[in-house]
Amino acid sequence: MSFADVLAGIYQGFGVTASVTLLGMAYAVPFAFIAGVLQFSTRGWPHAAITAVIEFWRSSPVIILLYAFYYTLPGFGIRLSGLAVGGLVLGLNIGGYGSQAVRAALQSLDRGQAEAGRSLGFRRWQILLLIELPQALLAMMPTFVNQFIQLVKSTALVSLITLSDMTFRAKEISQLHYDPVKVYTGLLVAYFVLCYPATIVGRWLERKVGAGRKFAHDV
Amino acid sequence: MTFDPAFALSIVPPIARALTTTLAVTLLSCVFAALLGFGLEITRRSSKPMRYAMRFVIDFIRSTPVLVQLYFLYYVLPVYGIKLPALVVGVAALSLYYCGYLAEVFKAGIDGIPRGQFEAAKALGLNRTKTVLLVIAPQMLRNIAAPMGNYFISIFKSTPYLAVIAVPESFGSALDIASDTFRYGEPMAVVGALFLAIAITLSFLIRKFEARLALSAQR
Repeated sequence: MSFADVLAGIYQGFGVTASVTLLGMAYAVPFAFIAGVLQFSTRGWPHAAITAVIEFWRSSPVIILLYAFYYTLPGFGIRLSGLAVGGLVLGLNIGGYGSQAVRAALQSLDRGQAEAGRSLGFRRWQILLLIELPQALLAMMPTFVNQFIQLVKSTALVSLITLSDMTFRAKEISQLHYDPVKVYTGLLVAYFVLCYPATIVGRWLERKVGAGRKFAHDV
Repeated sequence: MTFDPAFALSIVPPIARALTTTLAVTLLSCVFAALLGFGLEITRRSSKPMRYAMRFVIDFIRSTPVLVQLYFLYYVLPVYGIKLPALVVGVAALSLYYCGYLAEVFKAGIDGIPRGQFEAAKALGLNRTKTVLLVIAPQMLRNIAAPMGNYFISIFKSTPYLAVIAVPESFGSALDIASDTFRYGEPMAVVGALFLAIAITLSFLIRKFEARLALSAQR
């Protein structure tokens, strides 16, 4: 089996990898914004409750959550497809991290912005939606790009709940034609090709936002 | 199938016993990842060609999933006659994956040190090794305690990946119980709760440590 054949075989799983990524994004982005804004703007028990939800999704290992949701929910009468479980678990995990980027970006804004909004007669939600969030967006972009890369990479885990993604396909090919060197090199190359452009964009954004500094000096 | 609390309690001891392996893997991977990451970063700063070469290595490591890197090491090394125990392969894979992230953390830590420190070391006639070990490393550690701690927690949360190559850590032990008893709910809940409790405790300790470092820096 040539290296090109291996890559073509792995590519057959690309549709599933892409679907899990897109579904994950569909959960991650709204969750990150809602949870981040709530954590920024609430006090007392609502703050504690949203923090607990975020901590649960951030601190639990994804692989355990995938198994728990995929194999346990049917016992409670809830039947979700592997794709739905993968998207939900990976999305909310990444969204949990994203929520911290949203909260941190909102906290980094000058207090004068909210005061100016108040003096113009804006309501709290108007200040948040029209003044604070648009400014915070730029600051949170590098983290969002990094989280996107994490999401694409985490999709490899759905192969463990028998979804036929790129990793699953690679394992099948490897079992069929015993050639692990070609197959796993091909798989590394496939993920690198998918994620590297986002890595470049993330680095460019970091420079743009000023979060990443150039080498100050060489040791 | 419902959740059986008595069964859940009965499986706590074997899963908790396997935590010894989980914690040993975490500790070893943290040490090796930090050492490798520091080595990568120092090599990156040694010359211009090295800067590009090491950046590519770091980007490659960061742009591919840890699960795929684990499969690669586990299945490809034996083809070249390198037969290592699964535990060693697991620690190697986690160390390799996270050293890419830690190298970036070290980069930010070194960049955060004032230029005068490098000049002072040079004025004192310290060579490169002494400058790195006696002047840069201690100050850098204060800058990077928090992000480094977060990656150490990520390493802990990645240890369940090792179950796929049959390392007897806690998640693997939970999976064994699940496949023996055909009950996934209880083992996943027990192992999930253990990981969540440890991860949250670790992040609390890191925040405390970070606050203490900030205090000692103010003095």
